[in-house]
Amino acid sequence: MSTTDKTSSSHSKSLKIIGDEIWKNKTEKINAELFAMTYGSIVSQLCQDFQRDYKKVNDQLFTMGYNIGVRLIEDFLARTAMPRCEDMVRTAEVISKCAFKIFLNISPQVSNWSPNKEAFSLIFPENPLSEFVELPMDATKDLWYSNILCGVMKGALEMVQLDCDVYFVSDVLRSEQQTEIRVKLNKVLRDEIPIGED
Amino acid sequence: MTIYSFWIFDKHCNCIFNREWTLSSDSSSGTTNSKQNSETAKLLYGLIYSLRNITQKLSNTESGNKNDIRTISTGKYRVHTYCTATGLWFVLLTDFFQQSYLQVLQHIYSHIYVKYVSHNLLLPYDLTENQPILMRGQGTRKITNRHFIAALESFLSPIVE
Amino acid sequence: MSTPPIQTGQVLTSQQKAQQFKLFEDSLPKVNQLAFQLLLNEVVPLSMAVEEKVFDDKIQVNESEDQTNQKAEDVDNSDASNITKDIEDKLHITPELDLPSHVLIHQISTTNAEKREGVIKRLQSIGFNIGSKLTELLVFKNNPNIRFKDAEVLLIMKFICRDVWKQIYGKQIDNLKTNHRGTFYLFDYDYRPIRNFVVDGDISDPSLLEKETSLAQPFLEIPIGIITGVLSSLGFKSEVVACKASFVDKPDGTSKLNFPKGVSFHIQIVNQ
Repeated sequence: MSTTDKTSSSHSKSLKIIGDEIWKNKTEKINAELFAMTYGSIVSQLCQDFQRDYKKVNDQLFTMGYNIGVRLIEDFLARTAMPRCEDMVRTAEVISKCAFKIFLNISPQVSNWSPNKEAFSLIFPENPLSEFVELPMDATKDLWYSNILCGVMKGALEMVQLDCDVYFVSDVLRSEQQTEIRVKLNKVLRDEIPIGED
Repeated sequence: MTIYSFWIFDKHCNCIFNREWTLSSDSSSGTTNSKQNSETAKLLYGLIYSLRNITQKLSNTESGNKNDIRTISTGKYRVHTYCTATGLWFVLLTDFFQQSYLQVLQHIYSHIYVKYVSHNLLLPYDLTENQPILMRGQGTRKITNRHFIAALESFLSPIVE
Repeated sequence: MSTPPIQTGQVLTSQQKAQQFKLFEDSLPKVNQLAFQLLLNEVVPLSMAVEEKVFDDKIQVNESEDQTNQKAEDVDNSDASNITKDIEDKLHITPELDLPSHVLIHQISTTNAEKREGVIKRLQSIGFNIGSKLTELLVFKNNPNIRFKDAEVLLIMKFICRDVWKQIYGKQIDNLKTNHRGTFYLFDYDYRPIRNFVVDGDISDPSLLEKETSLAQPFLEIPIGIITGVLSSLGFKSEVVACKASFVDKPDGTSKLNFPKGVSFHIQIVNQ
């Protein structure tokens, strides 16, 4: 039992090292403020296009993220040479210590595990998408400003055969306590078998 | 040091790319995505699939480390495989000169596939494009864009000869 | 290269200023350039998806305005769909997904002129917003390398070619041509967002190049917006600026494995 614990914590440490090393040495970087500004322009435009129907904006951000995620996953796996994760615990570690580190230079905390270890939350102490952003009054009730992140994760996870629900629970932009995204595994998609083999 | 052929399989059990060299001395010889290789592709897929399947079942699940095949050696050639978590298989058939071609396969994945397929927004990332009829080994679409092929040739030619 | 250590109260040489600014820049929070590029690129298919939805909504609104009886029914329908949406939100059901990016991009080329106009306007509007905000960011951050006096257009163009392009696309504009009377050409021979774009087909087929450039054309609209946004925030409002983009041949010796054409931005400023 203790050997498993040791391997899992050393795995966890080495994930952090992998993430840090790739971020430090193998990544071209741009100013986070430019990134936040660009994202802000996109959200503004959507709010205008959908005439402040924030539910539509949320959905659009999600599906935009999904389309990014299904392609981004290959880049991520190629960079990190990460094999398929054996369970959601490992998946959560990889997402928080490697993926977010490499792409956004942040390390959200993993917490709020469900009893069956199939759902977890990511808590974001910082969010490069929403730096210096203030939401207008009517948006604070309905808009999930960074919903693109949920879409990206959904798309990426689906490509590694994990059908998950990914959604915002709370956001400091809405004057809530913390920024929290929940990832809930629905089912593990079965790998396809060639016709004739089943 | 000879490379006989290179294959890519996707998560839908389809061969989405293959390149076969017929003359070891000439890196421009052979075929690309030839239809005549479809039977070979299916057999190769079956071989890798079966051995991967059994290997994973045999691995110690408590250690948390899933085992995966890396090479399969037969009397006449060695099969090198690199399988990604997204279900892509990069496969190289070579002679016995070199023990591992892992770095070659990883390079193809990160610098050629990701570049000209994943980051290329003009073409699909999934060649079955959600058509069930093309899944489970029945699809025939291949990666045929010229930059992918040129980049692959330029990378593998020095190794083929 | 060793500059003497900076002491407080000392007047800084331009080299020291540049070094200090570089240290300042390096200390700012950063993000992976790839994340930024993927985000920017995805705006193009996004614009098409939104155009489709907005277009349908516009038509629905027009239709219900024509039929007053329908209005009551529409209100009931929308109540029901709002309730469904609320339930869907609480159950966290994944929203209906758009078509894949490459399909949306192809759609831009095949859709009707009105929708395509809508897509282009949207892209330019987002670019304009980015350009204006970036100018505020760069110009007002006390960057010693940037100084604008009397809104000199050439200086602004150089600012776009060097600073703006470097920040957003990781490289500078390759060539700037001007007739010193308000016409400018900016050449980017390796426009990064489309570098890896390619379609299936044989290079010997002449229609292949045409297809590639026509599919990639929408990716030039955001930089058009950025350029006009920068000019606008530095005093040259949209009324006096015209900006177009087109594909040009690359100079010899450039890599054959990238997008086959370079990009040229033609800017015309009235009354110069």
